[in-house]
Amino acid sequence: MIINHPLLGPRDASEFVYLGDESLINRPDPNSEDADDRFYEYGYLRDNPAGDLRELWYHEQGDRSWLVVTRNTLTHEITSVEMARDVAKAKGRDK
Amino acid sequence: MGEFTLKAEPFLDRYERDFGSVSIKELHQQAIVSFAIPNGCETKAEKTLNKVFGVACPKVGNSVLSKDGSARLMRLGADQLFCLLSNQQDTHSAHLVMNQKFGQDIYTTDQSDVWVCVEVSGTQTRKALERICAIDLHPDHFTIASIARTTMEHLGTIILRSAENTYVLLSASSSANSFLHALETSVENTM
Repeated sequence: MIINHPLLGPRDASEFVYLGDESLINRPDPNSEDADDRFYEYGYLRDNPAGDLRELWYHEQGDRSWLVVTRNTLTHEITSVEMARDVAKAKGRDK
Repeated sequence: MGEFTLKAEPFLDRYERDFGSVSIKELHQQAIVSFAIPNGCETKAEKTLNKVFGVACPKVGNSVLSKDGSARLMRLGADQLFCLLSNQQDTHSAHLVMNQKFGQDIYTTDQSDVWVCVEVSGTQTRKALERICAIDLHPDHFTIASIARTTMEHLGTIILRSAENTYVLLSASSSANSFLHALETSVENTM
């Protein structure tokens, strides 16, 4: 499987480490009133779609960047690759 | 207590060998300094690098020689560069010198003892490397001065194409002999 890195171009999937659902970017606020419930959801509950899934991949044997990869779980087709830092910044995070 | 000093020796004992159309040579007395760009300070850091080295900061996946030719800047990622300095008697002081020049614009760390540095050259070099390298080394794609951080035989490697048929490879010093063995085997298999 080839992942088309936004900065480096096509790279073999063996250079990457898979983490999981992109929603892990959205770490809950530990000071909120329902923090316990939110962290339970954050840590344990995942969607398992048959189709497109946005996932976090780490380029460990490359530039050490985190990517958000949109992959079809049925066909393994990759339709989009974004820098996770850009995705996080678009959500209002500072890094 | 006796007085003595420790002197670092090259990881591959100054290895140098010709295989006919391919030569492998350990490059020692190389100082390697990592530059980390603080989040949000990319423009400022690039201006500082331009001022110190006299050249524009390379794009990710590229390298450039400093104006005086003494240092090569390799852009490994959006926020990290490696600086390769040749013929250094004291490899560990290089990062302190850089640190003084950069101030808080760029963070530096000494990487000289972390990496073994090997030069592979000769007309058949690409043939030998492409068997074990995970990236496309075709000259139209991996042009002169290109760099990449990737794997060779599962070992993490930074590869630089320094000339038409010359490549500089950096890999972990702790597995230097395994890395050399992988290179030698691939060269022998393509002779």
